[in-house]
Amino acid sequence: MIGVRSLEKEYHVGDHVVRALRGVTLDIAGGEFVTVVGPSGSGKSTFMHILGCLDRPTRGQYLLGGRDVSTLPHDELARVRNETIGFVFQGFNLLSRTSALENVELPLLYTRKGAVKAAERRDRARRALAAVGLTDREEHHPNQLSGGQQQRVAIARALVNEPSLLLADEPTGNLDTATSHEVMEVFAKLRAERGITIVVITHERDIAAWGTRTIDFKDGVVVSDEQHAPTMGSHRPVSA
Amino acid sequence: MKRLRALHPSIDIGFKALTRNRLQTGLTMLGITVGVATVLAMMAVGAGAQRSIEQQVRAAGLNQLTIKAGNWKPKTEDSGGAVAHQGDAEDTMRLPVDELMPALPDAGDPFAGAADVLPIDFHPEDDPMEKHDHPLAWQRLGDLEAGLGASTTLSFADAEAIRQLPGVQYVAGGVHGNARVHYRPEGGAEKRWFTRMHGTDLHLLDIKRTWTLRSGRFFTEEEQDDKAMVLVLGSVVAEKVFGEQVDPVGKDLMLWNQTFRIVGVVTSASWVVRPAAGDDEFDAVYMPYTTTHQLLNLTKLNDITVTAASTGDVSALSKRITELLRQRHNITNEKPDDFTISTQATRAITTGGLPPNVAAAIAGNVKELERVTLEQLAGTLERASGTMRWLLAAVAAVSLLVGGIGIMNITLLSVTERTKEIGLRMAVGARGKDVTRQFLTEAVAISLAGGAVGVLLGLVASYLISSTLRWATVVSPASVFIAFGVSAAVGVLFGWYPARRAAELDPIDALRHE
Ligand SMILES: Nc1ncnc2c1ncn2[C@@H]1O[C@H](COP(=O)(O)OP(=O)(O)OP(=O)(O)O)[C@@H](O)[C@H]1O
Ligand SMILES: [Mg+2]
Repeated sequence: MIGVRSLEKEYHVGDHVVRALRGVTLDIAGGEFVTVVGPSGSGKSTFMHILGCLDRPTRGQYLLGGRDVSTLPHDELARVRNETIGFVFQGFNLLSRTSALENVELPLLYTRKGAVKAAERRDRARRALAAVGLTDREEHHPNQLSGGQQQRVAIARALVNEPSLLLADEPTGNLDTATSHEVMEVFAKLRAERGITIVVITHERDIAAWGTRTIDFKDGVVVSDEQHAPTMGSHRPVSA
Repeated sequence: MKRLRALHPSIDIGFKALTRNRLQTGLTMLGITVGVATVLAMMAVGAGAQRSIEQQVRAAGLNQLTIKAGNWKPKTEDSGGAVAHQGDAEDTMRLPVDELMPALPDAGDPFAGAADVLPIDFHPEDDPMEKHDHPLAWQRLGDLEAGLGASTTLSFADAEAIRQLPGVQYVAGGVHGNARVHYRPEGGAEKRWFTRMHGTDLHLLDIKRTWTLRSGRFFTEEEQDDKAMVLVLGSVVAEKVFGEQVDPVGKDLMLWNQTFRIVGVVTSASWVVRPAAGDDEFDAVYMPYTTTHQLLNLTKLNDITVTAASTGDVSALSKRITELLRQRHNITNEKPDDFTISTQATRAITTGGLPPNVAAAIAGNVKELERVTLEQLAGTLERASGTMRWLLAAVAAVSLLVGGIGIMNITLLSVTERTKEIGLRMAVGARGKDVTRQFLTEAVAISLAGGAVGVLLGLVASYLISSTLRWATVVSPASVFIAFGVSAAVGVLFGWYPARRAAELDPIDALRHE
């Protein structure tokens, strides 16, 4: 599914060069539930932006589904994001003054064939909301939803165009522990039911335990990468 | 509403843009509104000037020319006497008025009938030996109209031939004379009026654009063909004989001892021309020329009035008619015409209150007079409306610029406010051009809304300009369309820069934006 080779990313701040990623090489197979951990500033978000085609590496190769996407032009990257990748952010990033349903419809406005027809958009958004358990909140606006519900709307939005890769940068960062685990449970369920590849960045060890593999970043390189048994639904890890 | 918004995402975007910051959006729209209103008013004034030039040219009869039998020309050096040339003296048409009414009861006594009767009973100018201290009828009306020097060279066939010429709009042949009309109401005293008689063509009403029917109708083709005994009265005759309150249509009037049925009354539609006793148009009676021909046993016409389909064509048409008539009358090269063509402009000068010798001098010296007057008239109007248009154009330009800057400002504001949203849209697949389109749509939605209000305001402004400043204004569907187009163009033009800026945002930076 994903293969990165000697991935490097540099930022130029004045005449200073920040090396955010310093040669990352790894593969992620389809259906894996990867959690990315590491100290602040270690390059986790930078890595995920490149995986999500929001950014391009300074050096190195990125193969997505066998296709080298590291040098694609902007519009092509936008297409890849639309068709194969779903994003979930720490701050939810829902459009205010817009209903849950309309928020979920958003990616369907930018498909390869232009905007999907209104009726079909509505239909698919409803199904995505149902998949995250929010059937009864379609017309609610973000300010009428709890944090956990907002994040589930965001997940529905990430799902609506049926991507094969779901990327989440600290999706539980703004949520309390109980709600955090509810959100992680949604991810686990999606992976189990649809075989979606999921990459979640987190600071919390117990959230990382939901994955099947944990990658540890430090100063722009991977310091540990281990597979482990996931902690599913009924069998929750004890919080720290 | 919801349906409409679901129709296309852009419509939704547009609606949202209008309702987002209502006050700011409203203020922004104001500039566009004023601009578009001014653009519309500007076009209305322009089109109005254009139309009023055309109308005035038409109304002034500048597309009209008159062919008179004979080649009489005013003598330039003496007191207004006429000189006759070949062609008119030999066969002068005199209306046999006296033979037709041998037994008028009042013939001897000018003041018979006393108080009730209108004072002018017999015409003092009828005595050719009398010396007068005022211009005589033939001086006031022109010699031809007074029955002097009329000739018999024009025929009905000539009129028909002219009708076939290219560029001809209407043709009306005429026979003219003076006549006394009598009206005897049941049990009342008889009323008489000495007036002008015109045997004419039913197309005269089309030619006389400054005429209107006060009541009744003009005579019909059928009546003309049947030589019907029908009369159309000039309003002066109607008032003098019947009084101001009475509608004479349907009543009978005696002329040449014959009974005519009155079918209509014509008067002036223009405030410039007031019907007055003694004028040739409204102190007159009209009948089909066929009726005149029949009663007086005539075959010729005194004159033929022609209108050109296009005003600029008058001179050319005049040449064509000259050629045609010379050919029809078998006039060889070196001989002069046996007819005279005059245009409305030359007529206006020669009969427009100028002393006859002055008028004749002008008419003789200014070639293609009608064109000079036409261009002068058009020029004056064009200049005046041009000033107005420039003024409006300046106001329109300034307010559209201000409106455009307002739109750029509010769009930039919107881009900044919603940087995070832009980042999100990019993350879910929006390309640069999708973002550009979104903000352009917003800018155009605001400018179009401003434009719509502007069009309404422009309609009101055009109405006010015409009602208070007395400027003719014409609002055409095309100008409304253009005004809308201008507002859309302003939206695109000034929305472009902010929209491009939004599209060039880096998705990650945009997402991180607080
Ligand atoms: N746009 C940028 N310009 C300059 N430097 C940047 C930029 N983005 C990231 N960096 C730098 O790159 C390094 C890695 O940043 P990154 O955001 O990937 O860290 P992170 O692991 O996600 O940290 P956190 O856990 O705090 O989110 C940091 O040193 C950061 O300062
Ligand atoms: Mg981060």
